Amino acid sequence: MEPLLSLCIGGTSRDFAAGDELVCEYQIDAVEPGDIQAVEMSILWHTQGKGDVDLGVHFFERRLPSDAEDGDLRPMRRLRTRLPNSPLSYRGAIVNVQWCARLRLFLRRGREYVIEQPFTLGCVPAVLPALAKTGE
Amino acid sequence: MARWFRIVEKKRGGRRTGSNWLGSVGEAVFCASLFLLGSLLLSLLVGTHLVRPDPGKFAFGVGGWLLVLVTASSIVLGGGGLIWAVLGIGTSIERRSAMARQAVDHDIVHSALPRARNFPTLPAFDGLIDSPGIELAYRLPSSQTPAWQLLAVTIFTMLWNLVICIVTVSVASAHVAGRHEWLVTALLVPCWAVSYWSMRTFLNLLIQNSGMATTTVEISDLPLAPGREYQVVVAQHGHAVIRSLELSLVCEEEATFTQGTDVRREIREIYRRTLWKREAFRIEPAKPFQENCSLLVPLTAMHSFQSPHNAVRWKLVVRGEAATWPVFQRDFPLVVYPGEETMQIELASRASRVASQQVSVPGMAGVHA
Repeated sequence: MEPLLSLCIGGTSRDFAAGDELVCEYQIDAVEPGDIQAVEMSILWHTQGKGDVDLGVHFFERRLPSDAEDGDLRPMRRLRTRLPNSPLSYRGAIVNVQWCARLRLFLRRGREYVIEQPFTLGCVPAVLPALAKTGE
Repeated sequence: MARWFRIVEKKRGGRRTGSNWLGSVGEAVFCASLFLLGSLLLSLLVGTHLVRPDPGKFAFGVGGWLLVLVTASSIVLGGGGLIWAVLGIGTSIERRSAMARQAVDHDIVHSALPRARNFPTLPAFDGLIDSPGIELAYRLPSSQTPAWQLLAVTIFTMLWNLVICIVTVSVASAHVAGRHEWLVTALLVPCWAVSYWSMRTFLNLLIQNSGMATTTVEISDLPLAPGREYQVVVAQHGHAVIRSLELSLVCEEEATFTQGTDVRREIREIYRRTLWKREAFRIEPAKPFQENCSLLVPLTAMHSFQSPHNAVRWKLVVRGEAATWPVFQRDFPLVVYPGEETMQIELASRASRVASQQVSVPGMAGVHA
């Protein structure tokens, strides 16, 4: 049976302004506490598109069983972080920048599970006005 | 993780379609084998030499030292690769990225650069503001370095043509002496084509650099903010009759990707605005051409962005066409910061957020797996 991972972003909107506070909650279920090796929670941006994937971590937290009460990493955990001014979310022609919250669960024997929750930082329009040919 | 073990897997640049864990283990096993093989062979070589010393084996041209070099390289490459692979097993890309960011944050040299620390992934602009202008605050550097390009082409052209001349004379002498080496003669044909190409490129560059002298671009402030107006002065020196000369504000996306064993780069222009264009005029050495204009970055423009394989670049481009000279283009990079408009959320989203805050129970947008 596969573990159950739950990841939620605070508020009803997934659009954030630069400098906003992001609240995230995650919870793990359907797995024995002793099977969990580590849990990593990140708030990051990554590129999509034609180029190789680049990634930048804004917030990172790695928890081991020894960090939790009774060694149990499954209960709900809430984290807060203030979002940076850049890079803003962007959908370009060959370069896209996507922000997301990502939860990664490491189990014994090298098993690994990941879920992520995308969100938008800023409001850069997907396409700029058509290529202007002459000055105005 | 893949449900089944895949014998054949696709590798897309740094990404794999199969299990990362299995890939890392395979890499570690390969490096360990290389290290072990190198160690065994080197031990054998050194042991044999100690038991039965044979100075002749290490004489010049025999190859004893080559064997030592090859085995030592295997040890270094295998050992280094093994340590790297072991460090990578079980470490997520987020963790590695977070560690790299910490290292950068503690880097004294990096933190000394005039880069706003509140704006990650924006390129540093220290190279753009270290040269004051005559009319305006800063004189922009050109992104191309024609002098270096010309020097590299000159050295290549000289060396290549020297070698080809020597070989050509040698082959011609052989033909005169009655020793016809047709294979070498045939091989010389593509070499002569390269000679022609190199000479042509060299002359083109020489004409461009000697005919069209420097282009200077000055700007009133840096870095740029969308929605604000800036002044720009362009001066074109030289001695030529110009058919057309124009200044444009350009934004490009750049993506670098691995295709097989090749690293390729694609550039896509996503925005171009011609600020001015002048036609049919003459530039004299004593009276360079000069033009002023104002520059406005679009209010909702994407900011400059720089990551290892992807970039969004803004630049000013001067493009000219002169009578009897090849078309020339000079780029002057700019750094554009995120605008106040784009750092906010959209109006519709802002309204829905306000509405949700008025409801007493806060909602949570989430996924479950």
